[in-house]
Amino acid sequence: MSARSSWDSGNMHISFLIHNGYAIGGTVRTTYNLARSLAEQHDVEVVSVFRTRERPVFDPGPDVRLRSLVDTREGSGPALGPEHSRAAEVFPPEDGKYPMYSALTDRLIGEHLATTGADVVVGTRPGLNVHVARQTRRGPVRLGQEHLTLKTHSRRLKLVLRSAYPRLDALTTVTEADAADYRRKLRLPGVRVESLPNSVPRPEVTPADGTSKWVVAAGRLAPAKRYDLLIRAFAKVTEQRPDWKLRIYGGGREHDRLRALIDELGMYNHVFLMGPAHPLEPEWAKGSIGAVTSSLESFGMTIVEAMRCGLPVVATDCPHGPGEIIRPGVDGALVPMGDEDAVAGALLGLINDDGLRRRMGRAALEDSERFDPARVGSRYESLMRDLLARGSRGLHRTRGSFLGSAYTVKDALWGNGLRAQEGRA
Amino acid sequence: MSTGTDTATPPQAPAARRGPQPERGPRADCAADSAGGITFDVRLPAPLPSAAASPDHGAGLLLRSRSGDPDGPETVRLPLAPVAGDPGTLRAALPSTVRLAEGRWNVFLALDGAPPRRLLPGVNDLRSLMDRVPHADRTWLGVYIPYATKNGNLSVRSWQRWPHAEAGELRVVDGGLVLRGRLYGAGVAPGARLEAWARRHPDGPPVVVEAVAEGTGFTAELPYPPLAAHPVWDLWLRPGGSAEPVRVARILDDIADKKRIFTYPAERVRPASGDGPDVTVTPYYTLSNDLAVRVDAQD
Repeated sequence: MSARSSWDSGNMHISFLIHNGYAIGGTVRTTYNLARSLAEQHDVEVVSVFRTRERPVFDPGPDVRLRSLVDTREGSGPALGPEHSRAAEVFPPEDGKYPMYSALTDRLIGEHLATTGADVVVGTRPGLNVHVARQTRRGPVRLGQEHLTLKTHSRRLKLVLRSAYPRLDALTTVTEADAADYRRKLRLPGVRVESLPNSVPRPEVTPADGTSKWVVAAGRLAPAKRYDLLIRAFAKVTEQRPDWKLRIYGGGREHDRLRALIDELGMYNHVFLMGPAHPLEPEWAKGSIGAVTSSLESFGMTIVEAMRCGLPVVATDCPHGPGEIIRPGVDGALVPMGDEDAVAGALLGLINDDGLRRRMGRAALEDSERFDPARVGSRYESLMRDLLARGSRGLHRTRGSFLGSAYTVKDALWGNGLRAQEGRA
Repeated sequence: MSTGTDTATPPQAPAARRGPQPERGPRADCAADSAGGITFDVRLPAPLPSAAASPDHGAGLLLRSRSGDPDGPETVRLPLAPVAGDPGTLRAALPSTVRLAEGRWNVFLALDGAPPRRLLPGVNDLRSLMDRVPHADRTWLGVYIPYATKNGNLSVRSWQRWPHAEAGELRVVDGGLVLRGRLYGAGVAPGARLEAWARRHPDGPPVVVEAVAEGTGFTAELPYPPLAAHPVWDLWLRPGGSAEPVRVARILDDIADKKRIFTYPAERVRPASGDGPDVTVTPYYTLSNDLAVRVDAQD
């Protein structure tokens, strides 16, 4: 392994470990954005535990190597065998994806991490971070990414993470608020906890010019997105401005309920459920205002996407992302959660003032440049370099393992009756 | 298609599963201009030698009609030319003045000597099609909307209408619907009417109501009870006493398929004849984006 000599000369070998790089999802998209940007300077691979399609839906780019460990495409490949029917022991049951993991994934991920030639290994979800913490061979930097938030994890998962994460070198969150939670509540001595936002590339379409009379929202039609609130708020908007309309892009289980609400409010000439769209950029660019009324946004990717297309965004000030993305009154508006009058008021403020809307749209374009993959990528790059330079893997690792065990013992002493995770790897 | 890097897949498995398929081509970004024309920018994976990409050497974008013509599908060929300063891109234009028969057209890339390859959709910038208002002085209306098919390929939908009656706001009121629309290519004269024709009964009689002119626009209120007798009704606007009827449709925007996006509440209605069970009446857009009304038996 000539890892050290290669990164000393400027070039790092970076290996991402992802649940399913062939699926549609925020983690896949943001991982590929980052990988693609790092691949301009470095040797980057993405290892996908599962493969469910022939080709990935999102393009990781020509310089990123994508491979998979377990092929679950229907009718392809050899049967996965009894090993895949036995329960996983390294991947923790407390991670929601546990049912898909098995003794087979334990072994294949373990073999990959034990033999990797990478300088930096990056896990992209809690269960995989546990793999990275426990199974990576001595040497490479172990970096865990949190794409959701500590707050939304179950108590049991938090205990697992507190036991395993001390063996990481660093943990990244997508917001400062979440990084602060990890530092304060999980106490990971010796582990660098840093907030690094998701990246969003410059769109391939000309930004919106603020002249269209459309508000645009996009995301899964899930309860936490609170599109019901947005639709009710928009009904109030149309009382004053019937010339404005709303498009909501995305699919999901709330569809029929939202459809019924639109009909009940008589909004069927003003609010449209557009279905999923890919790519989304040209759809944002058709609007003049973006709207996000979620009760929870671990980051707020759609806010950044809308801003990168030149839209000021009206968003609820929900945990955690929106408040760290939007500068109220400059490039958008933050309104209290669950308050449809406040949403309607903020939308009307932008609808009724063409000059303000266009100014804030331009500000949104400028302010969202900080999320460009090149900028986020270079922040990741310097974090990785720092960690590689620190290098004192042995000492820290020993301390980390010790602390991990100590916490496990302490948790057991609390009488939670939770199985100790330590030592199962 | 680098299945060889996959530890768990024998390389021959995917091909065997999919069966023979025409090779898929590169992506094409489509942009609509304000007149309704479409520009196709074909993004080649690698720049072509300049000679191979020249229209003289047969680089072309093929639009192949999907309608089942017994003599084989109608094909329209648009020349593809290199874009200055962008060596990986070939551009073709479908001006709004070119007439494509109404329907769906699949899009292929034909390069010198090679069999045509189906193009994949790239970034479609169709914002200039939104809330479109055709020029009053034109003599016909062509609408082209590029879209991604269910299989992920690039196709174009086309409409040829003149005069054209564009459906606008549609309001479901107690026992009927109020339709507001705009007529292009003809005037809405006194005596104009909205006519509902039962789809399976072309000889009629239609259900006819007055259409009131408002500038180039019109408003008509169609009561539901007389529609109870037949399952599907198509809506036409007859702009004046003896004028030919014009199909009411919604085509002046960027949405290729209206059916699932523009939906309206169902109304429970007692049949006009007074006998028979109640029915449910729902306005909807057909697969061709024409306005129709569906009548269903109560569950």
